[in-house]
Amino acid sequence: MSQEIAVIGSPDFTTGFRLAGVRKFENVPDEAKDDELDEAVTRTLEDEDVGIIVMHEDDLDHLSRNARQSVERSIEPTLVTLGGSGGASGLRDQIKRAIGIDLMDE
Amino acid sequence: MAEDVKPTRKNLMAIEDRIELSERGHDTLEQKRDGLIMEFMDILDQAQDVRANLNQDYERAQNKINMARAMEGDVAVRGAAAALKEYPEITTQSKNIMGVVVPQIESSRVKKSLDQRGYGLLGSSARIDEAADAYEELLESIILAAEVETAMKKMLEEIETTKRRVNALEFKLLPELYENQEYIEQKLEEQEREEIFRLKKIKAKKEEEEKEERAAEKAAAEAEAATAD
Repeated sequence: MSQEIAVIGSPDFTTGFRLAGVRKFENVPDEAKDDELDEAVTRTLEDEDVGIIVMHEDDLDHLSRNARQSVERSIEPTLVTLGGSGGASGLRDQIKRAIGIDLMDE
Repeated sequence: MAEDVKPTRKNLMAIEDRIELSERGHDTLEQKRDGLIMEFMDILDQAQDVRANLNQDYERAQNKINMARAMEGDVAVRGAAAALKEYPEITTQSKNIMGVVVPQIESSRVKKSLDQRGYGLLGSSARIDEAADAYEELLESIILAAEVETAMKKMLEEIETTKRRVNALEFKLLPELYENQEYIEQKLEEQEREEIFRLKKIKAKKEEEEKEERAAEKAAAEAEAATAD
């Protein structure tokens, strides 16, 4: 089964990926992120052709609690975040919960 | 709870069987949990390397595209981006690590040569090419990161459920079973003591009766002897 990569973010963020050939993208301008980002993420999550979602780490803060949780925990498609403080945010909490130690502590 | 079971020998045997099974299950699950954590540690190391690479690639790609934007203008970059026809595809296969199915992602058409890109050679500059190159590399890192991080998420979920099962057995099911076992054993012992006591009582009563009977016989015999005289 072949799938594609999807990018969600501001036009500045997505342009570069389109240059590399990514077809699926959701452009959400910075000022509309609080209102429209949720919808864009839900739409992408429901798309069966998408295997990987790429987002900027900071954009996760614009998401509502539910959308954030579902995108962070989603395995198919799986989320990869870029930039920000580094390290997948949801993963770190999950490690702490599952193993009991903060293994990503540097 | 303890009072729910009938204190019979049959129940005791059933509970002993369950305890044995639960203990065996507990040991196995504990081994599975430890094994999973070991595997997870391996993946974690890998994931941290991949993450570091990813962030580096992202920074590089950003620099390149900013350069292209500054030199060529936003419109040219967007125009080139919109012209692309070939898109990267990924295919997922699965691999099994200790019962956890983790994906193995393979990509095709991420790296493209200049003529495959489709925005034309004449209309664009080297800076756009460089930016596209950098982003293609970034995509490759992203795909690797996705593979490793999905594996981590799945392993963590499995570790969590296994841990929960181990704890449920250790702190809930087994103590309850032990409690039931002790309750039945004590009840049975008590019944046994009651039975012995009862037997002693009956024996004492019988002896009493026999004694009385003998005394009565003796008295009767004496009375007979007296009348015969």
